[in-house]
Amino acid sequence: MLPVLNNADSLAYFWPEMILTAGAMGVFLFDLAVAKSPRRILWLTVASLGVLAAAALATSHVAGLSPTPIGLFNGLLVLDPWAVFFKYLSWAVTALAILIAGPSLEVASERMGEYCALLLAVAVGMSLMASSTDMLMMVIGVELVSMVSYALAGFKKHDRKSSEAALKYVVYGGVASGMMLFGMSYLYGLLGTTNLVGTAARMNAQAAMLAQAGVAASVAGAGRVAMVVAVVLVLSGVGYKIASVPWHMWCPDVYEGAPTPFTAFLSVGPKAAGFALAVRILYGAMSVSGGADLATAVADVPWPQVVGVIAGLTMTVGNFAALNQTNLKRMLAYSSIAHAGYILMGVAAASETGSQSVALYLVVYLFMNLGAFLVVGIVGRLSGSESIFEYRGLSARAPFAAVAFAVFLFSLTGLPPLAGFVGKFHLFKALVDRGGSWQITLAIVGLLNSAVSLYYYARIVKAMFLDKPHTEERIAVPASYNLLLGALVGLVLVFGVYFDGLRQLAGSSVVLFGHS
Amino acid sequence: MLPVPLPHTLALAAVLFCLGMVGVMVRRNALVVFMCVELMLNAANLTFLAFAQAHGDTTGHVSAFFVIAVAAAEASVGLAIVIAVFRSRGTVNLEELKTMKH
Amino acid sequence: MSPSPVGPYLPLAVTLLVSGLMAAALPVLAHFLGPRRASKVKSESFECGSVSEGSARQRFAVKFYVVALLFIVFDIETVFLYPWAVNFKALGWFGYAEVAAFAATLLVGLAYVWKKGALEWET
Repeated sequence: MLPVLNNADSLAYFWPEMILTAGAMGVFLFDLAVAKSPRRILWLTVASLGVLAAAALATSHVAGLSPTPIGLFNGLLVLDPWAVFFKYLSWAVTALAILIAGPSLEVASERMGEYCALLLAVAVGMSLMASSTDMLMMVIGVELVSMVSYALAGFKKHDRKSSEAALKYVVYGGVASGMMLFGMSYLYGLLGTTNLVGTAARMNAQAAMLAQAGVAASVAGAGRVAMVVAVVLVLSGVGYKIASVPWHMWCPDVYEGAPTPFTAFLSVGPKAAGFALAVRILYGAMSVSGGADLATAVADVPWPQVVGVIAGLTMTVGNFAALNQTNLKRMLAYSSIAHAGYILMGVAAASETGSQSVALYLVVYLFMNLGAFLVVGIVGRLSGSESIFEYRGLSARAPFAAVAFAVFLFSLTGLPPLAGFVGKFHLFKALVDRGGSWQITLAIVGLLNSAVSLYYYARIVKAMFLDKPHTEERIAVPASYNLLLGALVGLVLVFGVYFDGLRQLAGSSVVLFGHS
Repeated sequence: MLPVPLPHTLALAAVLFCLGMVGVMVRRNALVVFMCVELMLNAANLTFLAFAQAHGDTTGHVSAFFVIAVAAAEASVGLAIVIAVFRSRGTVNLEELKTMKH
Repeated sequence: MSPSPVGPYLPLAVTLLVSGLMAAALPVLAHFLGPRRASKVKSESFECGSVSEGSARQRFAVKFYVVALLFIVFDIETVFLYPWAVNFKALGWFGYAEVAAFAATLLVGLAYVWKKGALEWET
């Protein structure tokens, strides 16, 4: 029997989220207190980072409380290494998004308090997404992240693109959550519970029982169809969060219209939480305990192949659409769709190493993608445009930013000896280790896609280093930005060579509650 | 009073869900699209409650409460954004929002 | 076991069909059978008997929307108070503390909205 605590006892394990919730409210009130201060942005940044640091300390405290995975709040949430890993990741992304907001000037000083407080709320949502095993809690996590994201996407007042992005986001998001909830309601009806722990075993038992009772084939068939439809609807909601094909339509517009610091956040934070959820559903709940196979229990549909096909489509659509983009923010949006496809390869592998490679890639992706958006933010802020035209001869106008951008782009392509290569290598390895013919095919599709992506990444690098700038005027990059860029470049370079620690960390995180 | 049989409720919920889905795809006014989304959420609600009755289990009722809250939050965030769009664009027609198409 | 899974759905299908036909048929029949004698007074929009004033398509001030938004949020939150109220005795002090925390969250929201001036009617 798995250990599950009641509401009162669970509170001792819930400190990080409680601190963040109280912190978000505190930042709202603090914002009112410092409304007149000229150093308002600085104060708010420091306060929010303080809250996140406290949450990180609390996370390490609660992670040490229980050596084995433990269920909280009567099984709504769990605390296991997988959840803890994504909690740390969420706090880190949130901290970086808050850190880059101040100097980016895209968030007005009188709205900085709202920006920070709302991001802290998203952090709670991401943590709930990563640690829920109950469908009810999954919905709350997803909705907390989504609702706040709608508001933050439309954060630039009187900006046509920004409000348009928010409206598109809220419409697509509403449809996705409607589909997910409808699927969940059927899943609840068929399973008799909203808790997904041990779904596979339960469904196998149910199938055996039905077969024994001699239920008419047509009735059993109808049940199976309902099951498949329900699972597809639930996974649509998850697919929407990670922006995989065919639920990727919102992504380019929202990424382009939203304020750049938030776009950077959106491309890594909610995506990582979405993958945590996907692995929890597909690998943790729906695969048979002890076995390595994913979810064939659900109505005998070959789910790994389904995920594999979606992965292949996602990376292909993302990469080919990115080829002729001239707006860098939009191009990075398509590139992030393609990367969702690569990471889905790890999910499709449906193995422990697959989940490990997903976790590893998300860490690496955090550094390189955030870094790339950081450069786009700087150039956008100082030149007022995100067009590739501005990047011509950037090496002469802002040498360090240009070099850093090149490093991030080559890392996104997956070239050695950068961190992106390590991440991609593990994804491919997890897939090839499974050894089936479709796994190998998917790996080849992934390789070809990486080659395609090199074209549009290299196009920017060529523009930066070989083309003549349209003006000789230098771009004065603030020291704080250079420091952050340097740190991110350093991480990408270091993890490209010394990745053993990272691999072990990711490996030790693949312990999911209820899946042994 | 006789309870409504499960298939009837489920069929009604499915019809509501499909109406919402079709509405989202066909209608172009943002406000009407939000109404259709609410229809989809309420279809989910009805299904939760129907199954809760069939199972004799309260989880479905609890879920329904949360779906109501989610729908309300969705509506208020959505309306706030519609106001913002209307202020900057003077229209809430989704067809006309094409600043970023390439 | 029921002989066929279609069985229980048959009455429902009939109902749907009949109501659909009725819905389609009534306006068509009314269009062809009803006498039509339009006059100025008749084609005016009907407002509870009082004389209608202005266009119905005029815009409302944004302040109405803001109040409506806040109303939705604060109103719906009461759905969480009902289950607690029903089980008030059984949940005891722990339940009370939980609901107090919930209400405190709303209170912070209200304070922020107030201080930001979203409740000012005359701006």
